[in-house]
Amino acid sequence: MKNLRTFKRWLGRRVWPDSVRCPEEQRCLELARLMLDEESTPADDDYVLKHVEGCYQCYDNYNVEKEIRTAVKRRSMNMKIPQDVMKRIKMKIRSA
Amino acid sequence: MTDENEIIPDEAKTEKFEAEFMPHLEALYNFAYKLTQNEDDAKDLLQDTSMKAYRFIDSFEKGTNAKAWLFRILKNSFINDYRKKSKAPGMVDYQDVESYYNSDKGDSSVEITVDLRAETVRDKLGDEITIALNSLDVDFRTVIILCDLEGFKYDEMAKILDIPIGTVRSRLHRARNMLKEKLAAYAAEMGYNR
Repeated sequence: MKNLRTFKRWLGRRVWPDSVRCPEEQRCLELARLMLDEESTPADDDYVLKHVEGCYQCYDNYNVEKEIRTAVKRRSMNMKIPQDVMKRIKMKIRSA
Repeated sequence: MTDENEIIPDEAKTEKFEAEFMPHLEALYNFAYKLTQNEDDAKDLLQDTSMKAYRFIDSFEKGTNAKAWLFRILKNSFINDYRKKSKAPGMVDYQDVESYYNSDKGDSSVEITVDLRAETVRDKLGDEITIALNSLDVDFRTVIILCDLEGFKYDEMAKILDIPIGTVRSRLHRARNMLKEKLAAYAAEMGYNR
């Protein structure tokens, strides 16, 4: 049921031929990035959400942006500070 | 609010350092590593930053953003000490890159739209993300790290990097375009692009 709904939503979006780009693509991308960074205004959000609802190209761009952010976070190793470095810092500030 | 002329005794300084700054040292170390891409340099940079933070602790206002304050010191140390040392002759300076992108010539290339699908990023690109991020010029890499990994807001990034918010925004936009272009190239190599 969910897939059918998704498919219908996909069908409802404008699909541009490969050679043609949506004329609002750059604007939509810039505002989508602000939205994902939580730096957008409600008007920006409104524009992006309405636009991606109707344009498959921008909908895909929006999802790529989201996926890249997720992948960057997932792939980023969180390194622990080596014990000797931590000890040295503590020692230095306590003896300063 | 801390009085600018207030002199904090060493013991209180140590306590303040441990309470305010210690919790951020790990994030600071990771930032150092991502900037230098070298473990020894990251260790040195962390120690230098910690010592500078300790020395100038009187100028830190309690209750303000300690993490952003530390990141700013580290970034300045990186620019002043490490970047100069590691900069090989002939390497492209970021200012040149930014001037290029801000010129008419650069603007046209920014309009190039990278065709990359969400599923490709999700399912097919793994280590390429790290490689692509690390291959970005350090100034572009920095804004992505600060924004996506450390969760700083644009105004905090502007303070850390000493640049206007508008520049944060445009630099981030260009950095994301570059990252996407690199990922699209990987995807194309792997045969996953449309």
